[in-house]
Amino acid sequence: MGKRRVGITGLGVVTAAGVGIEPTFQSIQAGRQCVGEIGLFDASAFPCGIGGELADFSARKFVPKSYRKSVKVMARDIEIAVVAAELAFRDAGIATRGTDDGEMSIAPKRLGCNIGAGLICTDLDELGSAVNTAVNDGKFDLKLWGSSGMNNLTPLWLLKYLPNMLACHVTIIHGCEGPSNCITCGGAAGHLSIGEGARWITRDAADVVIAGGAESKINPMGLMRQTLLGRVCTGRNDRPADACRPFDADHTGTVAGEGGGLVILEELTCAESRRAKIYAELVGFGAACDPAGFDVMQRSAGSLDLAARKAIAEAGISPQDIDLIVAHGTAVPGEDVCEAAAWRAVLGESGSDVPVVATTGAIGSLFAGAGGVELAVAAMAVSQQSVPQTVNFAKVADGCAPLAVSSETRDAELKYVLTGAFSVGGQSAACVLKRIES
Amino acid sequence: MKQKRIVITGMGTVNPLAHNVEDTWAAILACKSAFSRINIFDAGTFPSTFAAQVSDYDLASQLSDAEPHCYAGRHCKFALGAAVQAWRQSGLGEQSELDKSRVGIYLGSGEGSLDFENFTSLMVDAWAEAGAVDTVRWAKLAFERMNLNREIAQESNMVVAHLAGEFGVCGEAFNVLTACAASTQAIGEAAMQIRYGQSDAIITGGAHSMIHPYGVTGFNRLTALSTRNNEIETASRPFDMTRDGFVLGEGASILILEDYDRAKARGAKILAEIIGYGSSADAFRITDQDPEGDGAATSMRNALADAGIAPEQIDYISAHGTATKQNDQVETRAVHAVFGDRAGRVPISSIKSMLGHLIAAAGATELITCVLAIRDQVLPPTTNYREPDPDCDLDYVPNEPRKAKVETVMSNSFGFGGQNDTLIIARGE
Repeated sequence: MGKRRVGITGLGVVTAAGVGIEPTFQSIQAGRQCVGEIGLFDASAFPCGIGGELADFSARKFVPKSYRKSVKVMARDIEIAVVAAELAFRDAGIATRGTDDGEMSIAPKRLGCNIGAGLICTDLDELGSAVNTAVNDGKFDLKLWGSSGMNNLTPLWLLKYLPNMLACHVTIIHGCEGPSNCITCGGAAGHLSIGEGARWITRDAADVVIAGGAESKINPMGLMRQTLLGRVCTGRNDRPADACRPFDADHTGTVAGEGGGLVILEELTCAESRRAKIYAELVGFGAACDPAGFDVMQRSAGSLDLAARKAIAEAGISPQDIDLIVAHGTAVPGEDVCEAAAWRAVLGESGSDVPVVATTGAIGSLFAGAGGVELAVAAMAVSQQSVPQTVNFAKVADGCAPLAVSSETRDAELKYVLTGAFSVGGQSAACVLKRIES
Repeated sequence: MKQKRIVITGMGTVNPLAHNVEDTWAAILACKSAFSRINIFDAGTFPSTFAAQVSDYDLASQLSDAEPHCYAGRHCKFALGAAVQAWRQSGLGEQSELDKSRVGIYLGSGEGSLDFENFTSLMVDAWAEAGAVDTVRWAKLAFERMNLNREIAQESNMVVAHLAGEFGVCGEAFNVLTACAASTQAIGEAAMQIRYGQSDAIITGGAHSMIHPYGVTGFNRLTALSTRNNEIETASRPFDMTRDGFVLGEGASILILEDYDRAKARGAKILAEIIGYGSSADAFRITDQDPEGDGAATSMRNALADAGIAPEQIDYISAHGTATKQNDQVETRAVHAVFGDRAGRVPISSIKSMLGHLIAAAGATELITCVLAIRDQVLPPTTNYREPDPDCDLDYVPNEPRKAKVETVMSNSFGFGGQNDTLIIARGE
C-alpha cells in the first residue's frame, strides 16, 4: 500500500470579515479593514477597546432544529466552531447527519474531529448573577455560595466552558465517531490540530478529519489578560481600522479578534474518487517549542523556524521551493521580530523575496482560532494562484527586515505555501500545502 | 516506513496518596483512601465537602532549582515534580548526544486555578443594578487587582512551557484537554509520534487541579460528585450499588516514552511497552454517555486492532470507573460488547476508589499503576465495593489486591462530552 496522502476539500471560516471563507479571503485581497469598536460590551475603559468582532452572530440558524436548544449551553467559542463546521462540511460536499438529515456520505467511525480551543472565558453576567446572591455586607460569602448561591447557576454551567466542548458539539451534530481531540496551545493550536488530524489520516485511523480551531477573546477577561501581558496596541481606540499592523514599522501591539477556521482533511484517493474539489494537498507538518517560552514577557515565536524546517523536510522539498508564507503576524513588536527572524532563518538569504502575508491586520488576532483561518487562507491562495495583501502594512519594521511582506494583491504561480503560528508560552507549528496539479 | 516500538523508560507522580511512584503503589496495595475534608478553601456548606488533595508538597524538595517556576500554577508544580522523577529514572538527561529538537512534550494538562478571590470580588464590586457587570468599573478595578502571573498560570499550555524550560527540550509540544480522557489521549498520541518517527522521546502525561470553589461548584451542579459527607473515606464506590458520584482529586503523572531501539541501544531500563492506542467519540450528548457504550467499545476495539491482538490476550483492565451511576454501567456494557463471553473473567478495577478522580491527570496516573501491575504480577483493587449492582456484573477485584499473571493490560478513559481513549501496554521484552 502506498503512503496515504491528505487533501483539503472543505473550508469553514468565521471572522469579523464575515461568515464563510470568501468574505475573509476577499477582505485580504481587497484590503478591507474589519477591526472596529467593540459592541458586545462597553470596552471604553480598556486601553485597547477595539476588536475584530463578529456582528450579529449566533449559531442558531446553523444547527439542525433538533439541536437548537443546545445553543444555550454553548460559549461563544463553541458557537463559532459549530458554525465553521457546518460551513466546512457543506463546502466539502460531505453529507453528515447535521448537514443532511439522512444518510452520512462517510462512515461515522472513520470521521475524526480535532479542534483547538483556548481558555474559554466565563460570561461575567451569568456567573455574576449567581455570585451576587451570595453577598453579605458587600462581600462575597463563600458559605452562602455553597449553601444556596451556586444553585442559581444552570446545572450545565461547567460544560459551557470546557474547551473540549467545541469538538464534542461538532461530533454530536455531525456524527463524527472517529478519533476526537482538543488541543489547547494558544495561537499554535490550529496548526497543531490540523497537523495531528492529517497524521490520523496517514496512519489510517480516519479517512476524513475536521480540524482547526476557534476562539473569542472579545470579553472582559480575555481583553484584561492580553492587556496585562502587554500584547495589545494601546492609544488607538479612536482609529481602530488602522490599529493592528503586522510587521509594519508602526506596529505597537495586537488587536483581539474572534473567529475560527475548520478545514476538511480527506484521504486523497477518497476525495478524488468522489470528484471532490481539492483546494490543496497537505504535504508537510512540523512542531517545536522554545525552552524559554515559559517566561511570557520575553517575546518568542516558539522555535517556529524548527517547526517550519520539519514541515519542509516532511514535504520532501527544500526551502527554495516555498512560494508564499502565510504568517501568524500578531503585530506585537517583539513577536513580529522573532517571527520574522524565524522565517528568514528558514528561507535563507536567497529567499528574501518570498512574499509573506498576515491576516491579522484585517481581522485581528484569533488565538486558537487563528491557525484554521491561516491554513484556509493558504489553501485559497494556492488554489486561486493569488497572493493576497497584508492589510495595514506599509513599511517593514526595522527589526523585521528584510522580509517581503505582501502589500498588494497579485496573481502568482504558487506551488508550495508554508504557514506557521506560535503561542504565548512557546509552542509552534507549521504546515506546507501543495498545489493540486490538474 | 518501519514502525518503531514504543517503550516507557521513566515514570513520576505527585498525587493525593503520595508524591512518588513507589509510595503511591504501596498505598494502593494497602487499600489506603486519599479522601479528606477540603482544606484548600472552606467547602463546609458545599454539597460535597471533601476531596482527594495533595498535601505537604514542596516543589523545592523535587527540583534542585525551583526558582524559575515560582509563578507556576498549583497543577504545574505537581507536573514539574512528577516530570523530574520520570526524567531522572529514564536517564535521558545523562545522554550527551540527545537531540533535544527530537524530544517532545505531549501533555493532557488542565487549566490552572482561577484567582478566585480577586475574580469574584470584581463581579461583586462592579455589579450594576441592571443585573449585569458594569464593564467600565470592572475594567478599572481589574487592572488594580488582577495579577499577570496568576492569569498566565491558568493557560493550559503553560505546563508544557515549564517542562520545556526545565529540561531544555525543543521538540514537538502539544497540550490536549479532552476532559477526563486528556492524559490517556496525550500518551496515545505521543506514542504514535514515536511509532512513526516524528519524535525520538516524549515527556507525556497530565496534570490538573480543580479543587477550587468554582471547580467544585461546576461538578456539584452537574451532580457528578459524591455527597457522602459523613462517610468520606469510603465515599468513592466504583461499580458498587451505592455509588453516588466521584471524589474530585488533583495531581500529576508523567511518563517518558522512547523508541525501543534507541532505549535498548543506550541500555535504558524498559518499564513497559505501549502496543495499542484507540480513540473515539460517542457523538451522542454533551451531558450523557451513549447508554449502550458504543463509543467506549469503539475506543477499546480500536486499541485492540491497533495492537493487533484479540480481546483474549488482555489480562486486566484499568477501568475509567468514576463511581458515577452512569459511567460504571456504561463501561460495564462496553466491556461486555468487546469481550463477549469472556467479559466476566477479565479482572477490571478502578483505583479511583482510593485516589479519587484526577480529571485530566487520571489516565496517566492509572497507566503508571498498570505498568506496576505487570512488574509485580498483582492487580490493584476496587475498594469500597460492598453491594453488587446487577447492572455491573464484572470481576472488579473487590477490596484487596490480587496476585495474577499479568502480561497485557488495557486502560480506559472517557471524557465529559463523549471523547474516549484506550491504551494497551505489555511487558515489553
